[in-house]
Amino acid sequence: MSSKFDAPKVAEIHQHLHSHLPSESALRVKALETLLVDKGLVNPQTIDAWIEAYTDQIGPKRGARVVAKAWTDSAYKKRLLQDAPAAIDELGYLGKATAHLKVVENSDRVHNLVVCTLCSCYPFSILGIAPAWYKAAAYRSRAVREPRAVLAEFGVDIDDDVEVRVWDSTAELRYLVLPQCPPGAAGMSEEDLAALVTRNSMIGTDRNLG
Amino acid sequence: MDGIHDLGGKQGYGPIDVDDSGTPFHHDWEAREWGIAQSARTPGITIDWWRHCRELIAPEDYLARPYFDSWAQTDFSTYIEAGWMTLEDIGKTDAMQNNSVDDALPAALTLEQVLQEDRRHAYRFDAEVDAEPLFVAGQQVQTERHGHVGHTRLPQYARGRRGTIQACHGAHVFPDLSAQGVEVHQYCYSVMFTADELWVEAEGSRDKVYLDLWESYLSIIENEHQR
Repeated sequence: MSSKFDAPKVAEIHQHLHSHLPSESALRVKALETLLVDKGLVNPQTIDAWIEAYTDQIGPKRGARVVAKAWTDSAYKKRLLQDAPAAIDELGYLGKATAHLKVVENSDRVHNLVVCTLCSCYPFSILGIAPAWYKAAAYRSRAVREPRAVLAEFGVDIDDDVEVRVWDSTAELRYLVLPQCPPGAAGMSEEDLAALVTRNSMIGTDRNLG
Repeated sequence: MDGIHDLGGKQGYGPIDVDDSGTPFHHDWEAREWGIAQSARTPGITIDWWRHCRELIAPEDYLARPYFDSWAQTDFSTYIEAGWMTLEDIGKTDAMQNNSVDDALPAALTLEQVLQEDRRHAYRFDAEVDAEPLFVAGQQVQTERHGHVGHTRLPQYARGRRGTIQACHGAHVFPDLSAQGVEVHQYCYSVMFTADELWVEAEGSRDKVYLDLWESYLSIIENEHQR
């Protein structure tokens, strides 16, 4: 039993689901899991393991370590900018949605901001689960059209002479922003630097760290 | 398709709720749905078919339902379309005890196995093709003016616009056909658009928007003297 790629049928299924499914999200997901288990298609313990992986192991701490390493090791930074999948693989972080990762670097003159206007593409294996705002209509609609107003809502003011580059993730490429190293970071360890890197700074909704 | 999902540049969605606790899941059911989506995929499914099934959710549900709820509905639709379950099954879940003997289920994966699986999910979408890329960095291109009925990754806001090729990413699986189960590779490019090419109110802006677009979405802009 496999997909027939029958789009009109799926549109019809959605109309039925609208009226057949319980209205509460929790009950809808419960029904889905119950059916999958009943049909022997999924082991609930595997679902538990996926939740544990993305709660305790895979998250923005990975991205923060990549950024801190790039700040302290210029050869690593060069590799990261040239071939990000290989560079994150050095740390064991290559995984879901990062095989075509691209790193875009902020500077005094450039600020980068990442969005997915068509769905919610995100580099899971280095940033984990995307924040709610990233997946919401307000961010997805506005980031490409009024990035400076969006950034202001995050408390980030961009000078007029700084160019804002918005990256709309329309293909299988995923983007990670390399924020600027905060002033006064000289001599700090990679670990202490990583603690300064916010998740938002790696998406582009944060700029001045430290 | 010109669906509700194509949100870029649409107006009226209001301020962004920037507060986020930083926890990956805010409710147990969100976490369960994440785990389900990772561990139950119909044979032969493509990421583009899954995306298209999400785009086909009725607009009122797409906008009003929480994010992971829309994943659950998308999963339901792909499972039903593929014959894994039926609409009638949904009404019977209350009676299901889920007390099937463990050996009727797939083997449980441990955390370590799931972390391995995540590494395996570093899917590549590129391939070598015989043809040479049609465009080179620095060239001016124009995007298609129209979309089509099925899945596409050329957003409405970037249709019929002029941009500049920044780089060629190589040949990647073409999503419009991948959503129909057909795997064809086509060159994909990073294309830069100036903000004032996209938005009437952005005149004089120095800002840029970059999209990754497939070759068939693009055509070359001839120099004025060649016209």
